[in-house]
Amino acid sequence: MRNLLMVSAAALMAVTSFSPTVRAQAAASSQGAAGSQSGSTKIPDLSGDWGPDRARGGMGQSLSISDIGGRKRGNEDDIPYQPWAREKTLSEKTSTGPDPKFDETTDPQVIFCEPPGVPHIYLWPIKTKFIQTPEAVYILHELGPFFRVVWLNSKHPADVDPQWWGHSIGHYENGDTLVVDTIGFNDKTWLDQMGHPHTEQMHLIERYKRVNEKQLELDMIIDDPGAYTKPWPSHRNFELRTTGFLRYQQICSIRENQQFFNNTAKPAVGGPAAK
Amino acid sequence: MQSNLKTTTTIVMAVAIGLLLVSSKVSAHHGANLYDMTKAVVLKGTIAKFYWGNPHNEVAVDVTDEKGNVTHWVAYTEPPLVMLESGWTRKSLNFGDQVTAYVFAAKNGSTVGTLSKIVLPDGKELVAYGAPRGAAPPAAAPPAR
Repeated sequence: MRNLLMVSAAALMAVTSFSPTVRAQAAASSQGAAGSQSGSTKIPDLSGDWGPDRARGGMGQSLSISDIGGRKRGNEDDIPYQPWAREKTLSEKTSTGPDPKFDETTDPQVIFCEPPGVPHIYLWPIKTKFIQTPEAVYILHELGPFFRVVWLNSKHPADVDPQWWGHSIGHYENGDTLVVDTIGFNDKTWLDQMGHPHTEQMHLIERYKRVNEKQLELDMIIDDPGAYTKPWPSHRNFELRTTGFLRYQQICSIRENQQFFNNTAKPAVGGPAAK
Repeated sequence: MQSNLKTTTTIVMAVAIGLLLVSSKVSAHHGANLYDMTKAVVLKGTIAKFYWGNPHNEVAVDVTDEKGNVTHWVAYTEPPLVMLESGWTRKSLNFGDQVTAYVFAAKNGSTVGTLSKIVLPDGKELVAYGAPRGAAPPAAAPPAR
């Protein structure tokens, strides 16, 4: 009897969790940009551990393609701010970058240990792994550790609850690219380390392409009519790492953050130290 | 909308790649304005504590001058996840080790900073800031997966 119950439960979970048919029925009619299969049905191999490509841009601080280091924060020529978004960006106090205010940062990831969300997570020195299944691609991050589910050839729900990582659907394109379409973000995360804001209207398109065995590229379009006047592009380069995945859990702890601040940063803030 | 986005993506791709290739070195450290990153202070001392953990590892070094006065220094590195890729482990440093530490120290004179590297008595160097990453882990490293 117990075995029968376990088998039944497993079967039910499998059907309700992974069946595209059931998901499609549950989903409403809003068809996302990545919701339909197009091009070749060949599935690209995204296996491996992918870290920021140190020879091609590195980790970076900003999503601005022209200002990856964040030195022109608020005045980048490739970010089409709405006035409030520019003011909001300039009002933030970053914890890293060219002019960090670690002692008084407003970075919600640092002060509250909130999830960085996407694409912010790609501006961390951590690796990412893709688990490809017929129904979904699971994107695993060493930070958190967090993971995202990209439902393949599916649809966004009609009324998405705003959440930290949004709702993602995707498909393969041209036999070499994974296209991910995400909506349903909350507005609590920064887009990057430089404090660029977004609203719940953000619609993010990610295109992951393995250009060769050791390099992966991500092209993004950030479309947020609530914060920016038009969609704008960003880009990240990744390199294959062979040192192992998640050998240490990069977990955010407010207690550990406070300890670190007290030990190494707080004494360095302000005027000359007492002798 | 999607076709417009796709077109935009295609147009900017070459520009994006080109600009990333020439991007300048980026500071990921919290103390770019707190520590003097132009030169490292050289400390000959003893490991008083090695904290291996998030958000950053911390290395405490006690330096004793010729009069017997002890100065306590604390320098941090990137977190274990990152340092593991440079060959560091939680056993890289031990209490009482005699070391030479190179530290980018606080501008205000505090005895804290960012660790550049540490040289062990046998001459082995453990590079912290700007360390090369991605090399194979040491043979003694735990299973990677």
